[in-house]
Amino acid sequence: MVDRTLEKGAPLLETRGVAKRFGGVAAVDGLDMSVTQGSVHGLIGPNGAGKTTMINLITGLFHPSEGAIRFAGAELSARPPHEIAALGISRTYQNVRLFSGMTALEQVMTGCWLKRGVSLWSSFLGPAARARWRETRAQAMALLERVGMADRADELAETLSYGEQRRIEIARALGSAPRLLLLDEPTAGMNHAEAHAVGRLVHELRDGGLTVLMVEHNMGLVTEFCDSCTVMNFGRLLARGEPRACIADPAVQEAYFGRKNDADRIKSLR
Amino acid sequence: MQTLLDFWAGYGSTVVFAMVNSFFALSAYAVLSTGVLSFATVAFAAVGGFLAAQMVGKFGMPLPAAVALAGLGGGLASALVAAAFLKLESHWMALASLALVLITRVVALNAPALTGGVNGLVVPQRISFLQLLVLLAVVALVFHRLSRSWYGLAARAVREDPAVASTMGVSPYRIQFTAFLISGVVGGIGGAALAFTLQFISPETYFIGLAFTMIASTVLGGSFHWVGSLIGAAVFTALPVTMQAIVPQIEDVAKGVALLLIMIFLPRGLIDPRAWGLRRAARARQVAGGATQAEPHG
Repeated sequence: MVDRTLEKGAPLLETRGVAKRFGGVAAVDGLDMSVTQGSVHGLIGPNGAGKTTMINLITGLFHPSEGAIRFAGAELSARPPHEIAALGISRTYQNVRLFSGMTALEQVMTGCWLKRGVSLWSSFLGPAARARWRETRAQAMALLERVGMADRADELAETLSYGEQRRIEIARALGSAPRLLLLDEPTAGMNHAEAHAVGRLVHELRDGGLTVLMVEHNMGLVTEFCDSCTVMNFGRLLARGEPRACIADPAVQEAYFGRKNDADRIKSLR
Repeated sequence: MQTLLDFWAGYGSTVVFAMVNSFFALSAYAVLSTGVLSFATVAFAAVGGFLAAQMVGKFGMPLPAAVALAGLGGGLASALVAAAFLKLESHWMALASLALVLITRVVALNAPALTGGVNGLVVPQRISFLQLLVLLAVVALVFHRLSRSWYGLAARAVREDPAVASTMGVSPYRIQFTAFLISGVVGGIGGAALAFTLQFISPETYFIGLAFTMIASTVLGGSFHWVGSLIGAAVFTALPVTMQAIVPQIEDVAKGVALLLIMIFLPRGLIDPRAWGLRRAARARQVAGGATQAEPHG
């Protein structure tokens, strides 16, 4: 597994000593992380470890108090979100954030914004732009097809189930044809079959050349679908490397399940 | 035919004012559709109105050219306002634009060379019904096209969630700036249309009353579709007139009461595409539910 990451070469995303403080509280406290091109990288850790903050820092919704975030040779830490998106980073949200009042297809169309291929002005005037619009629409439909939501394209997204909304959000994030996809708990609220479908989709995307960084709580999915992972706790790095090795790490076990002694005591109580 | 003529004799001016108010409502809608509540339309209207009135009165400019120039003036003013105000958070933005309305009146009062000051300006030309109709049709067509363009899609995204929109590559600032430009041009045109309808304007013409009418029209009609602004302006202009005819006692409070009722019972306005979608989904669920319920019996 480790050899395979070496094969694929240089990191696409690299953070150095990234810290984010809100007042006196450090949500992320000097994190080094690196995501290899063409891999699925898991970002795991107990609740409040700073995983979502990390995603927000990478996408520019927050700016780091310290440290550097490099993506494909570009420094991200001072850029606004729309520029970061234009560099090829796309994301989904922990609590699904679809646009109210838009149909599933419109959501994905909006996600295709960066690939619209026409200026705002000509999209208003030109008949040539209408052809491009139809093309983009077809692309958006193909993405909905890919996540298995094509038959719901014209329905208001807010009338769909939570799991369906998550899939639409993934389709929307793919609309910009990103190089790096950030998935923030993509399987939360999904049953086993749905979660595995998402896992398989992530593998398909990776095999198509996409790099994926996913925050995930389901350890089964992490070991099954992630090529490598980073474990955070209290905003700091706890472990990194091959998922099974990380999860077996005593420090990780302790962070998730409490002190080792406590665990032993529970065992002795049984 | 006779009834039509009678109607026109009785309500012709109401129809004309409803059309004029439509410009202001659309101008307010233009920014509201990107999530910005702004009263600055009143200032754009003042710029357009006084500019057009002076051009026609002092330089004998033809009316259509004066209207076009008013649109340009309003657009220019809106660029300045957008550059200064767009840094503000939404509620501060609304307050700042309201302050701008107050400032506009004071400035207009104290620049008699440009605005006629307290005495106001007589406008020597009148816009014909046909001209007004064509003008409104053109503006409506622009809004129609915009709503189906990439700009329209991005505007909705920015309104619903600017942070999410920005992570998809949409710059909220750029979209809202564009919205202000549209609002400015339409507001300027509306200001000129009002001047050429009233044929007398003063600093009081472009003041709080106008701000109230336009926001109320947009809210009442529905701020999620441009047609809502037209409907809202029509209802809001016709309401006091019909009230006067039916129950004159409550004419004065009719506007306020109507606005309250709408905000309580139809907070998204009369024209609400989302509500149609929700109803469609509910119907579909009912049909599906009915089908599964029917199965055991069959």
